[in-house]
Amino acid sequence: MSTEHEERNQRRLGRDDFLKLGAVTVGTGVLAACGAEGAPEPAAAPTGEDEPERPPIESEPGNLDVFEWAGYEYPAYGGKNGVLKPYVDQRGKPKFTFLTSDDQALGKVRAGYRPDMVHPCVDYVGNWIEMGVVQPWDTSLITNFPDLEAPLVQGGQVDGQQYFLPADWGFSSPLYRSDEVEPDGEESWALFYDDRYEGKISWWDSPLENFVIWGYVNGIENPWEMTDEQLDEARDFLMSKKHLCRNFWSSQTDLDADIAAGNIWIAYAWAGSYVAAKDAGLDVVYSEPKEGRLGWNCGFVLMADTENFRHAHEFVDTWSSVESAEWIINNYAYGHANTSVNLANVPEDYVAVFHLDDPEARQEPNAHYARPVSTERRAAYAQRWDEVKAA
Amino acid sequence: MAVEAREIETTAAPPGVGARPRTGLVTTALLAPPLLWLVVFFLIPVGFIFLYSVNVFAFFPGTQAFTLDAWKNFLDGSPFLDLFWKSIRMSLIISVVAVVAAYPIAYYIALIASKRKYVLLLLILAPFLVSYFLRLLAWKVILGDQGVINSFLIWTGIRDEPVSWLLYSQFAVILTLIYVYIPFVALPIFASLESLDRRLLEAASDLGASRWQAFRKVTLPLSVPGVIAAFIFVFIPTIGEYFTPLLVGGVDGTMFGNAIADQFGQSLNWLNGSVLSFFLLVVVAVLMSIFARFLTVRRVATG
Repeated sequence: MSTEHEERNQRRLGRDDFLKLGAVTVGTGVLAACGAEGAPEPAAAPTGEDEPERPPIESEPGNLDVFEWAGYEYPAYGGKNGVLKPYVDQRGKPKFTFLTSDDQALGKVRAGYRPDMVHPCVDYVGNWIEMGVVQPWDTSLITNFPDLEAPLVQGGQVDGQQYFLPADWGFSSPLYRSDEVEPDGEESWALFYDDRYEGKISWWDSPLENFVIWGYVNGIENPWEMTDEQLDEARDFLMSKKHLCRNFWSSQTDLDADIAAGNIWIAYAWAGSYVAAKDAGLDVVYSEPKEGRLGWNCGFVLMADTENFRHAHEFVDTWSSVESAEWIINNYAYGHANTSVNLANVPEDYVAVFHLDDPEARQEPNAHYARPVSTERRAAYAQRWDEVKAA
Repeated sequence: MAVEAREIETTAAPPGVGARPRTGLVTTALLAPPLLWLVVFFLIPVGFIFLYSVNVFAFFPGTQAFTLDAWKNFLDGSPFLDLFWKSIRMSLIISVVAVVAAYPIAYYIALIASKRKYVLLLLILAPFLVSYFLRLLAWKVILGDQGVINSFLIWTGIRDEPVSWLLYSQFAVILTLIYVYIPFVALPIFASLESLDRRLLEAASDLGASRWQAFRKVTLPLSVPGVIAAFIFVFIPTIGEYFTPLLVGGVDGTMFGNAIADQFGQSLNWLNGSVLSFFLLVVVAVLMSIFARFLTVRRVATG
C-alpha cells in the first residue's frame, strides 16, 4: 500500500515538473504575443477568478462537435437506445469527428480545427494546455463527478483546475494467437522482436510507444525520458527488426480485421482487440509481460473558445454515468473512471484478464501508465520513429 | 485530346492585331476568378509551406528563426530522400504497366468495338460507382493470408503456406494502384485513337502494309500524345500517393506521401514536413514542364 502511494507521488511529481515547464512555455508564448501585437490576450491564460457568466444552455448553438476516437460515437457507443440516448434525446445528436492518435489530434487542432471538446489521453494534457486551446471544466455542473476514481481525477488537475476529465482507461500489451505462437520462455514484450514470427507481427504506429517498449525490454529506468543516445540505439534496433512486421497499425478496426483474417498473429493491442479476437472465435492470449503492461487513461478536454460550454458538460455527465461504465466494460473491456460499477454485471473473464477488481495491478511496477513527455522530448522520439518508418 | 488542342490552337492562332479591343477586357474578366482562386488557394498556401520549411513560420509560436537546416538534413542523405526515390521507382512501374495494360483496351474500344463503343466505355468507368475505400478493402480480401488467392493456392496444394508478400507490401501497392488508374489511363489513349483519321489506315493497307506495320507506323505514332498524357495522369499523382500505401502497403510499401502526412499529423514536425512537401511540389512542377514541352514537340512532329 505504501509503495503504491510512493509510486503515485513519484508519478505526480514528474507530471508537476513537466507542467511547470508547460506553464513557463505558455507564459513566454503570451509574452511574445504581447510584444508582437502590443495587446495582451487574456483568453490564453487560465484565470479562474473573473469567470464570465455563462449563458443558459438554451441560448447556446448546440450541435456539439466532439473530436472522438472511433467507436465512441453515438450510436456505436452504448447502442441506439443506450447510454448516450438521454443526451441525444434532449440536446440532439452531437457531430463526431474521429482522431486516430493524440498526436494527430494535436496536429489537427494546431492546424485550425476547432471542435467543442476532444478526447485525448492524460499524458498529453500538458501539451494541450501548452498550446493554449483548452479551458478547465466546471465540475459542479457534472452530477456524476463524485463517482469518478480519485487518483484519475487528480491526474487531470493542473494548478488546482480540472482541465482533464478522466473517462476511460486500460492496458496496452502484446496480444497473440496461442494456437500459432509459442512465447520463448517467460512472457515478454520481446515477443515483438521474435524472428520466428517474421511477417506476422504488428507494432502500433505511434511515435513514443515502440521506444518505450524497447526501453522496458532493455531495463532502462525511465523509458519515457530516454537520452538522445538511448533513442539512437533504440532506433537502430527497431530498424533492424522492422522487417518482422507485416504492418504498423494505426486503426484498431483494421488491426482487428487483420487478426481475424489471419494476417497478424502478434500485435500491440488494447483490450478491445482481445475482445474482438475472442468474438471471432480465435485462441488468443492478452499477455502479462514480465516487464509489465503499459497503461493508458484518456478523458475529455474542453476547448477554450467553445460556444457549447453547457452542452459539453451535459455530454460528459451522460458519458460518466455508471451505465456508461458498465457498457464500456461489457463491450470494449476497457475500464471507466466511474468505478461504482457492480462487477457481478460484467464478464468474469474481463475482470480477471484486465484486473478490474485489483487497482494495484494497474500501478507501478505491475503496469506503467503513460507519462507526460515534454514537447521537445516528444519531438526527439517522433523524429526517430519517422526515420524507422522511412528507412 | 492533343489533336483537339491543336485545332483550337490553329483557330486561335492569329489573335491580337485584328481583334477588337473589348476582347481583352472580356478575357481578363473571364480569367480573373480562376486566377484569383489559384492565387488565394494555391500560390499563397504554397508560399506558407515554403516559409514553414525555412522556419520563418513555426508550429510552436516563439521558436521561429530563419534556417536552412531542415533542407540540409533532408538533402544530406536522410532516409526521407531514399524514400522519395523509392516512391519515384514505384510510380514509374505503376505508370508504365498501367499504360501498357490500358492501351489494348483503349484500342479495342476505339477502333474495333464499333457499335458497343460507348457501352464499353461506361463499363470501364463502372468501378467509380464504388467508393475507393471499399475497392481497397476488396483487395485486402483478395490478397490476405486467408484471402481468395491464398485460399486457392493452399486448396489446390500448390503452396503449403500462404504467400505473404501479396498483401502489405510494395507489390500490393503497385498492383492496386495499377488497377485504380487503368480507367484514367484508358481515356486519353481512347480519345487520341478515336480521333485517328481512318483513311490513313486504308492508305497504309493500299500501299501494302500488313496490319502490324500499319499499327507500328501509323496508329502507334499518332496515339503517342494520348499515351504521354495518360502516363502523366498516373505518374504525377502516384508520386505523392498516401491513402493506398496506408491501407495495403504495410511496412515495406510506405511511400513519400505517408512520410509527409506523418510529419504534419503525427510528429508535429511541420518544419521537416514542409521541406518534404515543397520538395515534392518542385519535382512535380519540373517534371510537368518537361512533359508539357515533350507533348508540344510531338504535336509539331505529328501535325
